[in-house]
Amino acid sequence: MIRYILAALIVGVTTGYLVSCSGNAEAWSDVVNYVFNGSLLVLLFVMGLSFGLDREAMHKLRQTGLRILIVPFTVVLGSILAGLVGGLILRLDLTASMAVTAGYGWYTIDGPMVGQVFGAEWGAMGFAVNFVRELLTIVTVTLLVKISKYAPIASGGATTMDTTLPIITRYCGSDMLITAFSSGFTLSLLAPFSIIAMSTLGRFLVSFASL
Amino acid sequence: MIYFAVFVVPLVAGIVAGYALREKWQANLNKATLPIIIALVFSLGFSIGIDNDALSSLPRVGWNALFIASLTIVFSIVLVELARRKVKLA
Repeated sequence: MIRYILAALIVGVTTGYLVSCSGNAEAWSDVVNYVFNGSLLVLLFVMGLSFGLDREAMHKLRQTGLRILIVPFTVVLGSILAGLVGGLILRLDLTASMAVTAGYGWYTIDGPMVGQVFGAEWGAMGFAVNFVRELLTIVTVTLLVKISKYAPIASGGATTMDTTLPIITRYCGSDMLITAFSSGFTLSLLAPFSIIAMSTLGRFLVSFASL
Repeated sequence: MIYFAVFVVPLVAGIVAGYALREKWQANLNKATLPIIIALVFSLGFSIGIDNDALSSLPRVGWNALFIASLTIVFSIVLVELARRKVKLA
């Protein structure tokens, strides 16, 4: 299973790259966008269906209740802390590094937002860190699930509401569908605010230092 | 916000349909989802490949990005594991 997923990913990246060199990129990009959104909507329906059919999953969700939200909020803490520690070890701008990790894997929003505040180089970092996070989650899901059913969800961050959701429910079981979706959903909502918060902190520190 | 609503609708519709059908129908839908997952991952890869900004960012920031991305994963997993044990989330 994971072999097919990895093969599809590699073939997809290569095809995308070749098409971008061909000059007809925009038209193809639109077509693939339709495929992406269409397959995502179908998948979400089918995953919802298998969750609804599963008696135990429903029962488990009732027992868990709002405690489920502990997952996204600890991911926020873990990700921003990782930005701080990574920045310290690599001797980088700490607030920029935290703004990069505050994207929780959502690279299409983190790259541009961080780039606008901290410059193009940091924008590239925002893209790269978050999309490597998404790729690593897909590639290592079979290993992470051995730690616990929550590990792939923690790793996926904001991506567990869409791109990594089918792979996570496949390996963690359909009873983790709501945990994964609600975690990704909460993190996707929080990502823009956290990036702005870290960027504002950065600007504040710069103006404070120049006083 | 529309982006989020678009995802919630099919998911909730699926859950409601599954709940309504569960007395009459038992199915393992795992096999049916594989081709759709492949299509999804392919198009995800495609959108990464076609996006020169995303792709060209990799060699520029290189190992630093890989290091920080790995740290976010490790820290998130460790904290989630500690927290869920604390609140007894099974």
